[in-house]
Amino acid sequence: MTAALRQISLEEWDRRRHRLREEGLVEPIYGGPLGRHVADGDTRLLKLRFDDSPAALRLWNFLLTEEDRLRAARESGKKLVGAMKDLGTVPVMAYSLDNLVAFYPDGAWWIPCVMELNTGLLQIADSLGIDESFCPVRAMLGAFVTEAHFPLPDLLTCSVGATCDDFSAIAQRLNGLGHPILWWEIPHRRQSEPGEQAVTLPGGFETPRSQVEFVKSELLRVGVALGELAGRPLDDESLARGIAKANRVRDLLDRLRHLAFTAPLCPMPALEMLIAEMLAIHFCSDRDETILVLAELLAEVERRVAAGVGHLSTDAARVFWVNPVADLQVMNLLEESGGRICGTEYLFAHALDPIPTTLGPMEALAQMALADPMVGSSFDRAARIVADIRRFGAEAVIVSRIPGASHCALEGEIIGRIVREECGLPVLEIEVPSITDAAKATLCTRLEALVETVKDRRE
Amino acid sequence: MIYAGIDAGSRAIKVVLIDADGSRMIAKAQADQGIEQGKLACELFEKTLAENGLQRSDVGRVVATGYGRNAIDVADTTITEITCHAVGVRHLVPDVRTIIDIGGQDSKLVRLDGNGKVRDFAMNDRCAAGTGRFLEVVAARLGIPVGDLGATASRSKSPAAISSMCVVFAETEIIGLLSCGRAGEDIVAGVQNAIASRIVAMAGRSVETPILFTGGVARISGMDAALRTALGQPVAVSPEPQMTGALGAALLARRHCENPS
Repeated sequence: MTAALRQISLEEWDRRRHRLREEGLVEPIYGGPLGRHVADGDTRLLKLRFDDSPAALRLWNFLLTEEDRLRAARESGKKLVGAMKDLGTVPVMAYSLDNLVAFYPDGAWWIPCVMELNTGLLQIADSLGIDESFCPVRAMLGAFVTEAHFPLPDLLTCSVGATCDDFSAIAQRLNGLGHPILWWEIPHRRQSEPGEQAVTLPGGFETPRSQVEFVKSELLRVGVALGELAGRPLDDESLARGIAKANRVRDLLDRLRHLAFTAPLCPMPALEMLIAEMLAIHFCSDRDETILVLAELLAEVERRVAAGVGHLSTDAARVFWVNPVADLQVMNLLEESGGRICGTEYLFAHALDPIPTTLGPMEALAQMALADPMVGSSFDRAARIVADIRRFGAEAVIVSRIPGASHCALEGEIIGRIVREECGLPVLEIEVPSITDAAKATLCTRLEALVETVKDRRE
Repeated sequence: MIYAGIDAGSRAIKVVLIDADGSRMIAKAQADQGIEQGKLACELFEKTLAENGLQRSDVGRVVATGYGRNAIDVADTTITEITCHAVGVRHLVPDVRTIIDIGGQDSKLVRLDGNGKVRDFAMNDRCAAGTGRFLEVVAARLGIPVGDLGATASRSKSPAAISSMCVVFAETEIIGLLSCGRAGEDIVAGVQNAIASRIVAMAGRSVETPILFTGGVARISGMDAALRTALGQPVAVSPEPQMTGALGAALLARRHCENPS
């Protein structure tokens, strides 16, 4: 069985949008032709293939107008919080206060890809002594220097402790450039010792009660700083409301992922699913709009699943993808090679789990922070990946490495070994630089070979 | 009806023709790779047919593989070298469980199941440190033909320690070793060991035997011994080391013709 839908180019999208507008398409305030983002310098968009639904158009426009949103928020008197090395904790707290907007400066790691190295951000990082032996998130340094990609935040927070060495070095360099940072410590998640009280975290990992209490105290400290910035304290009632909204985002993503990964035909391509998942971390600087964007995307996916239409054919190789890619084009390449995404672990699986509402709000957030796959061992990550592989019925796993990133030098080997032992699936490890054009042929060979392997194993 | 496989590698193009029941290799041929990859492959294919008194119409199907596979217009379809090597190896040595393929520009480790199907694979990333390119660099630096590297290495009593992480760094090390008066045979043997250690790193902790060594580098004597030592396991050289991929492609051409689905 083959699919009825096809992915379209940026030029095709602009023509399609024109027709849709004539037929009555109403767009949000940030809507418009995708081509205008190329004029802004996002030239990589010209090489991507997009889903052709109005819901996808809205998603892309929402993503690509974040800078405008941040500047508008500042002009309207709101305070900006840059939540660094934070995959879904401080933003939940910040958005619990009406006049705060949190964003994710680390997201600048995609700018060299989207703008095809034209911004000079990496060269600025080089000049600051943070060269390409570091994670591509070093592009963030350049973004702070040029102030061209996001306004400087009123408060910068950054987790430290069980975080990557690279990121700590980059954030410290930023601090040294005169950008004060409120550091909060996240300890490496460990098993309880005999006699220690244990807590089972959302997602199933276990940790000692003392670690939860410590993280709670750190988050309380961050909460005080957020309250001072907002001009009113962050109380439990506000936080509970913020958690409820964050859970609405997570619920939408959970339903979206389940349908997208399990439907017989792929109802939403890998690229749009990656962007959608990323909204869980920091809501793309507008939590309420995130809910609307995801709700429309989910409705489109539900409609497609009900109608039995989708991208790719039913025999596409079902691939579980580990780690986000620096070059977005690689998600297209997987599909061009005959694979579809059936499960992901983009380093923030915990940010897709519901935040417990039966606990005190700060206790719940502390537990969520400790459930972060990156603050525990790669064996923990592998266990969760194995569980999700089974949940979504994946047939192969791709672990994509980020050049220079060091969250765990051996994670590919550890995850690969455990997946092979537990699931008997082929595991492919690839490295994806910010721009893959020069490596495209060899990358395609690997992806095509994986798809061939999956299909051969079915016979 | 016959079937053809074309392996467009980074250094050489290989063509294999097999007969209708796939049991016999009718012809094999090889030519240097160049800029016009599609044209060179087509010329070699046509020349091989002509030398064997065959016409294009005698060929039921052509499968192209290798790094330049997408440039070959005469091919009916393309299949990656991972799959083709597995099929070729299965045909030549049926019980093999691990293939080590070292070509001019990349290296691969392919794990097979008991039925000869690919279970898993790994390929080298961007550096050429585990590939034939490393040997070309050392050959050029020492002024030795690539074909003589094996004989040179066999004279070494004390292989030099050379970095396996980066060919460019390694070349600098070679210059340093030469300036210290280190013998060429020790340097070549050291490079062979460095390539072998990259393969071990790619293989991870478990390598199932039997292990078969394919690719152009398998023809260089001493490389199999370096791999044996590094892996601590027996390593056999494929009966057709450089033709394995093209053979697999030809066998797959036959299989596809018989079972188009």
